[in-house]
Amino acid sequence: MSDHNCESTQAEFSALLDNELSDEQRRAVMAEVKACAACAAALDELRAAVASLSQLKHAAPPTFLQDVQQQIRQRSRGRFFGKRFLLFGRIPFEWVSLVMILAMLAYYIVTMQSSPTEVTPLP
Amino acid sequence: MSLSDRLLLARLRERDEEAFSHIVKLYGDRVFNLVFRFVGNRSEAEDIAQEVFVTVFKSIETFRAESKFSTWLLRIAANHAKNRIKYLSRRPGVGAEEADDEEVALSQQRSVPGHMVAPDVMMEAAELGSLLEKAIAKLDEDQRLLILLRDVEELAYDEICEITGLPEGTVKSRLHRARITLKALLEAHTR
Repeated sequence: MSDHNCESTQAEFSALLDNELSDEQRRAVMAEVKACAACAAALDELRAAVASLSQLKHAAPPTFLQDVQQQIRQRSRGRFFGKRFLLFGRIPFEWVSLVMILAMLAYYIVTMQSSPTEVTPLP
Repeated sequence: MSLSDRLLLARLRERDEEAFSHIVKLYGDRVFNLVFRFVGNRSEAEDIAQEVFVTVFKSIETFRAESKFSTWLLRIAANHAKNRIKYLSRRPGVGAEEADDEEVALSQQRSVPGHMVAPDVMMEAAELGSLLEKAIAKLDEDQRLLILLRDVEELAYDEICEITGLPEGTVKSRLHRARITLKALLEAHTR
Protein backbone atom coordinates (compact mmCIF):
# COMPACT_ATOMS: atom_id res chain seq x y z
CA MET A 1 0.00 0.00 0.00
CA SER A 2 2.52 2.56 -1.19
CA ASP A 3 0.07 5.43 -1.67
CA HIS A 4 -1.28 5.27 1.88
CA ASN A 5 -2.05 8.67 3.33
CA CYS A 6 -2.77 8.76 7.08
CA GLU A 7 -4.55 12.10 6.88
CA SER A 8 -7.03 11.07 4.21
CA THR A 9 -7.65 7.70 5.89
CA GLN A 10 -8.27 9.29 9.28
CA ALA A 11 -10.59 11.84 7.70
CA GLU A 12 -13.04 8.95 7.20
CA PHE A 13 -12.95 7.76 10.81
CA SER A 14 -15.82 9.87 12.04
CA ALA A 15 -18.10 8.62 9.26
CA LEU A 16 -16.86 5.08 9.92
CA LEU A 17 -17.82 5.27 13.60
CA ASP A 18 -21.23 6.65 12.66
CA ASN A 19 -21.83 3.85 10.12
CA GLU A 20 -22.12 6.45 7.42
CA LEU A 21 -19.83 4.71 4.94
CA SER A 22 -20.96 2.30 2.26
CA ASP A 23 -19.73 -1.30 2.55
CA GLU A 24 -17.16 -0.63 -0.15
CA GLN A 25 -15.87 2.53 1.52
CA ARG A 26 -15.78 0.79 4.87
CA ARG A 27 -13.76 -2.11 3.49
CA ALA A 28 -11.32 0.30 1.86
CA VAL A 29 -10.81 2.29 5.06
CA MET A 30 -10.39 -0.85 7.15
CA ALA A 31 -7.80 -2.19 4.70
CA GLU A 32 -5.81 1.04 5.11
CA VAL A 33 -6.15 0.81 8.90
CA LYS A 34 -4.91 -2.78 8.95
CA ALA A 35 -1.86 -1.79 6.98
CA CYS A 36 -0.94 1.21 9.11
CA ALA A 37 -0.22 0.99 12.86
CA ALA A 38 -0.58 4.75 13.32
CA CYS A 39 -4.03 4.77 11.72
CA ALA A 40 -5.07 1.72 13.75
CA ALA A 41 -4.02 3.45 16.98
CA ALA A 42 -5.76 6.68 15.94
CA LEU A 43 -8.98 4.78 15.19
CA ASP A 44 -8.85 2.98 18.55
CA GLU A 45 -8.31 6.26 20.40
CA LEU A 46 -11.13 8.02 18.56
CA ARG A 47 -13.46 5.10 19.12
CA ALA A 48 -12.65 5.07 22.84
CA ALA A 49 -13.13 8.84 23.14
CA VAL A 50 -16.51 8.76 21.38
CA ALA A 51 -17.66 5.73 23.41
CA SER A 52 -16.73 7.38 26.70
CA LEU A 53 -18.76 10.47 25.79
CA SER A 54 -21.97 8.48 25.83
CA GLN A 55 -21.32 7.73 29.52
CA LEU A 56 -21.43 11.42 30.38
CA LYS A 57 -24.85 11.58 31.94
CA HIS A 58 -25.72 13.98 34.69
CA ALA A 59 -29.11 13.73 36.32
CA ALA A 60 -31.11 16.84 37.11
CA PRO A 61 -31.24 17.84 40.79
CA PRO A 62 -33.75 15.81 42.84
CA THR A 63 -35.94 18.89 43.39
CA PHE A 64 -36.00 19.81 39.70
CA LEU A 65 -39.68 19.04 39.09
CA GLN A 66 -40.77 21.03 42.15
CA ASP A 67 -38.49 23.91 41.10
CA VAL A 68 -40.01 24.06 37.62
CA GLN A 69 -43.55 23.87 38.97
CA GLN A 70 -42.77 26.64 41.43
CA GLN A 71 -41.34 28.82 38.63
CA ILE A 72 -44.46 28.35 36.53
CA ARG A 73 -46.81 29.06 39.41
CA GLN A 74 -44.87 32.16 40.41
CA ARG A 75 -44.73 33.60 36.92
CA SER A 76 -48.35 32.90 36.09
CA ARG A 77 -49.48 33.88 39.60
CA GLY A 78 -51.03 30.47 39.96
CA ARG A 79 -53.17 30.83 36.83
CA PHE A 80 -51.25 28.55 34.50
CA PHE A 81 -52.72 25.28 35.64
CA GLY A 82 -56.03 26.88 36.56
CA LYS A 83 -59.34 26.51 34.71
CA ARG A 84 -59.27 28.02 31.28
CA PHE A 85 -61.53 30.94 30.44
CA LEU A 86 -63.96 29.63 27.83
CA LEU A 87 -61.89 28.85 24.74
CA PHE A 88 -59.01 31.04 25.77
CA GLY A 89 -56.11 30.34 28.06
CA ARG A 90 -56.66 33.67 29.81
CA ILE A 91 -59.12 36.57 29.87
CA PRO A 92 -59.12 37.90 26.27
CA PHE A 93 -58.52 41.56 27.03
CA GLU A 94 -58.02 42.42 23.32
CA TRP A 95 -61.53 41.18 22.50
CA VAL A 96 -63.05 42.80 25.55
CA SER A 97 -61.61 46.19 24.57
CA LEU A 98 -62.69 45.76 20.93
CA VAL A 99 -66.26 45.01 22.00
CA MET A 100 -66.24 48.06 24.28
CA ILE A 101 -65.00 50.34 21.50
CA LEU A 102 -67.69 49.04 19.12
CA ALA A 103 -70.36 49.50 21.78
CA MET A 104 -69.28 53.10 22.39
CA LEU A 105 -69.21 53.77 18.66
CA ALA A 106 -72.72 52.34 18.24
CA TYR A 107 -73.97 54.40 21.18
CA TYR A 108 -72.43 57.54 19.68
CA ILE A 109 -74.03 56.91 16.26
CA VAL A 110 -77.45 56.19 17.80
CA THR A 111 -77.39 59.33 19.97
CA MET A 112 -76.23 61.47 17.04
CA GLN A 113 -79.16 60.23 14.93
CA SER A 114 -81.79 60.75 17.60
CA SER A 115 -80.60 64.22 18.69
CA PRO A 116 -82.09 67.32 16.89
CA THR A 117 -79.89 68.61 14.09
CA GLU A 118 -81.55 72.00 13.75
CA VAL A 119 -81.38 74.68 16.37
CA THR A 120 -84.69 76.46 16.86
CA PRO A 121 -84.30 80.09 17.82
CA LEU A 122 -85.70 81.21 21.09
CA PRO A 123 -88.95 83.17 20.83
CA MET B 1 -44.73 11.49 15.98
CA SER B 2 -45.96 8.52 17.97
CA LEU B 3 -49.51 8.17 19.27
CA SER B 4 -48.42 8.48 22.88
CA ASP B 5 -46.53 11.68 21.99
CA ARG B 6 -49.65 13.06 20.32
CA LEU B 7 -51.83 12.23 23.30
CA LEU B 8 -49.31 13.80 25.62
CA LEU B 9 -49.17 16.89 23.44
CA ALA B 10 -52.95 17.22 23.50
CA ARG B 11 -52.88 17.04 27.29
CA LEU B 12 -50.11 19.61 27.41
CA ARG B 13 -52.17 21.99 25.30
CA GLU B 14 -54.99 21.55 27.79
CA ARG B 15 -52.51 22.55 30.49
CA ASP B 16 -52.89 19.31 32.27
CA GLU B 17 -50.54 19.58 35.24
CA GLU B 18 -49.95 15.84 35.34
CA ALA B 19 -48.82 15.88 31.70
CA PHE B 20 -46.42 18.72 32.45
CA SER B 21 -44.97 16.84 35.38
CA HIS B 22 -44.60 13.80 33.17
CA ILE B 23 -42.69 15.84 30.58
CA VAL B 24 -40.33 17.24 33.20
CA LYS B 25 -39.70 13.77 34.63
CA LEU B 26 -39.22 12.31 31.17
CA TYR B 27 -36.89 14.93 29.73
CA GLY B 28 -35.53 16.76 32.79
CA ASP B 29 -32.30 14.76 32.96
CA ARG B 30 -31.58 15.09 29.24
CA VAL B 31 -32.19 18.81 29.23
CA PHE B 32 -30.16 19.31 32.38
CA ASN B 33 -27.30 17.14 31.09
CA LEU B 34 -27.15 19.03 27.81
CA VAL B 35 -27.12 22.50 29.33
CA PHE B 36 -24.78 21.49 32.17
CA ARG B 37 -22.23 20.07 29.73
CA PHE B 38 -22.66 23.09 27.49
CA VAL B 39 -22.27 25.87 30.06
CA GLY B 40 -20.09 23.89 32.51
CA ASN B 41 -21.65 25.43 35.60
CA ARG B 42 -24.13 23.59 37.77
CA SER B 43 -26.14 26.51 39.17
CA GLU B 44 -26.39 28.18 35.75
CA ALA B 45 -27.45 24.85 34.29
CA GLU B 46 -30.20 24.44 36.88
CA ASP B 47 -31.46 27.90 36.09
CA ILE B 48 -31.34 27.38 32.32
CA ALA B 49 -33.02 23.97 32.51
CA GLN B 50 -35.89 25.47 34.50
CA GLU B 51 -36.16 28.28 31.95
CA VAL B 52 -36.32 25.71 29.16
CA PHE B 53 -39.39 24.05 30.67
CA VAL B 54 -41.04 27.38 31.44
CA THR B 55 -40.52 28.31 27.76
CA VAL B 56 -41.93 24.97 26.66
CA PHE B 57 -45.01 25.46 28.80
CA LYS B 58 -45.48 29.03 27.61
CA SER B 59 -45.11 28.19 23.94
CA ILE B 60 -46.60 24.73 23.71
CA GLU B 61 -49.36 26.16 21.49
CA THR B 62 -46.74 27.10 18.88
CA PHE B 63 -45.32 23.58 18.60
CA ARG B 64 -46.53 22.32 15.23
CA ALA B 65 -45.55 18.69 15.73
CA GLU B 66 -43.58 18.69 12.48
CA SER B 67 -40.61 17.40 14.41
CA LYS B 68 -40.28 15.15 17.44
CA PHE B 69 -41.20 16.79 20.71
CA SER B 70 -37.77 15.93 22.14
CA THR B 71 -36.06 17.64 19.18
CA TRP B 72 -38.10 20.79 19.71
CA LEU B 73 -37.33 20.69 23.44
CA LEU B 74 -33.59 20.23 22.91
CA ARG B 75 -33.58 23.07 20.37
CA ILE B 76 -35.05 25.35 23.02
CA ALA B 77 -32.45 24.06 25.49
CA ALA B 78 -29.58 24.68 23.07
CA ASN B 79 -30.80 28.21 22.32
CA HIS B 80 -31.20 29.06 26.00
CA ALA B 81 -27.73 27.70 26.78
CA LYS B 82 -26.16 29.66 23.92
CA ASN B 83 -27.89 32.86 24.99
CA ARG B 84 -26.75 32.37 28.58
CA ILE B 85 -23.14 31.90 27.47
CA LYS B 86 -23.40 35.10 25.43
CA TYR B 87 -24.85 36.90 28.43
CA LEU B 88 -22.21 35.53 30.81
CA SER B 89 -19.39 36.45 28.44
CA ARG B 90 -20.46 40.08 28.76
CA ARG B 91 -20.14 39.82 32.54
CA PRO B 92 -16.50 39.21 33.42
CA GLY B 93 -15.86 36.99 36.42
CA VAL B 94 -19.05 35.01 35.96
CA GLY B 95 -19.33 31.99 33.75
CA ALA B 96 -18.21 28.48 33.15
CA GLU B 97 -16.31 26.92 35.98
CA GLU B 98 -14.14 23.88 35.87
CA ALA B 99 -15.85 21.08 37.67
CA ASP B 100 -13.80 19.99 40.66
CA ASP B 101 -13.08 16.34 41.38
CA GLU B 102 -15.73 16.13 44.08
CA GLU B 103 -18.37 17.42 41.68
CA VAL B 104 -17.29 14.98 39.02
CA ALA B 105 -17.44 12.09 41.50
CA LEU B 106 -20.91 13.22 42.53
CA SER B 107 -21.86 13.49 38.89
CA GLN B 108 -20.73 9.91 38.24
CA GLN B 109 -22.65 8.68 41.30
CA ARG B 110 -25.80 10.41 40.13
CA SER B 111 -25.48 9.02 36.67
CA VAL B 112 -26.11 5.48 37.87
CA PRO B 113 -28.97 5.73 40.34
CA GLY B 114 -29.59 2.68 42.47
CA HIS B 115 -26.55 0.91 41.12
CA MET B 116 -23.64 -0.07 43.37
CA VAL B 117 -20.25 0.48 41.79
CA ALA B 118 -16.88 -0.57 43.20
CA PRO B 119 -14.88 2.42 44.55
CA ASP B 120 -11.92 1.91 42.19
CA VAL B 121 -14.24 1.71 39.18
CA MET B 122 -16.03 4.82 40.39
CA MET B 123 -12.70 6.62 40.84
CA GLU B 124 -11.59 5.69 37.36
CA ALA B 125 -14.92 6.79 35.91
CA ALA B 126 -14.68 10.04 37.85
CA GLU B 127 -11.20 10.68 36.46
CA LEU B 128 -12.33 9.97 32.92
CA GLY B 129 -15.42 12.11 33.46
CA SER B 130 -13.27 14.95 34.73
CA LEU B 131 -10.93 14.68 31.75
CA LEU B 132 -13.83 14.64 29.31
CA GLU B 133 -15.50 17.62 30.96
CA LYS B 134 -12.29 19.63 30.78
CA ALA B 135 -11.77 18.68 27.16
CA ILE B 136 -15.39 19.49 26.21
CA ALA B 137 -15.14 22.86 27.95
CA LYS B 138 -12.16 23.74 25.75
CA LEU B 139 -14.01 23.10 22.49
CA ASP B 140 -15.54 26.07 20.77
CA GLU B 141 -19.26 26.57 21.23
CA ASP B 142 -20.36 25.03 17.91
CA GLN B 143 -18.12 22.00 18.26
CA ARG B 144 -19.20 21.49 21.87
CA LEU B 145 -22.87 21.52 20.93
CA LEU B 146 -22.36 19.00 18.13
CA ILE B 147 -20.34 16.66 20.35
CA LEU B 148 -23.00 16.86 23.04
CA LEU B 149 -25.88 16.25 20.66
CA ARG B 150 -24.29 13.42 18.74
CA ASP B 151 -21.96 11.64 21.15
CA VAL B 152 -23.48 12.39 24.55
CA GLU B 153 -27.18 12.56 23.68
CA GLU B 154 -26.73 10.15 20.76
CA LEU B 155 -29.15 11.95 18.47
CA ALA B 156 -29.57 11.15 14.78
CA TYR B 157 -28.12 13.54 12.22
CA ASP B 158 -31.54 14.78 11.07
CA GLU B 159 -32.41 15.75 14.64
CA ILE B 160 -29.08 17.55 15.03
CA CYS B 161 -29.75 19.43 11.80
CA GLU B 162 -33.14 20.55 13.13
CA ILE B 163 -31.70 21.64 16.45
CA THR B 164 -28.71 23.52 15.04
CA GLY B 165 -30.28 24.69 11.78
CA LEU B 166 -27.20 23.45 9.91
CA PRO B 167 -27.19 21.31 6.76
CA GLU B 168 -26.22 17.65 7.23
CA GLY B 169 -22.92 17.97 5.39
CA THR B 170 -21.86 20.84 7.63
CA VAL B 171 -22.87 18.93 10.74
CA LYS B 172 -20.83 15.92 9.66
CA SER B 173 -17.70 17.85 8.76
CA ARG B 174 -17.84 20.00 11.90
CA LEU B 175 -18.48 16.97 14.06
CA HIS B 176 -15.48 15.22 12.57
CA ARG B 177 -13.28 18.22 13.36
CA ALA B 178 -14.77 18.42 16.86
CA ARG B 179 -13.97 14.76 17.55
CA ILE B 180 -10.41 15.15 16.32
CA THR B 181 -9.97 18.24 18.50
CA LEU B 182 -11.46 16.44 21.49
CA LYS B 183 -9.16 13.46 20.98
CA ALA B 184 -6.16 15.79 20.82
CA LEU B 185 -7.28 17.57 24.00
CA LEU B 186 -7.69 14.26 25.82
CA GLU B 187 -4.25 13.17 24.70
CA ALA B 188 -2.77 16.46 25.90
CA HIS B 189 -4.43 15.99 29.32
CA THR B 190 -3.24 12.42 29.74
CA ARG B 191 0.32 13.07 28.71
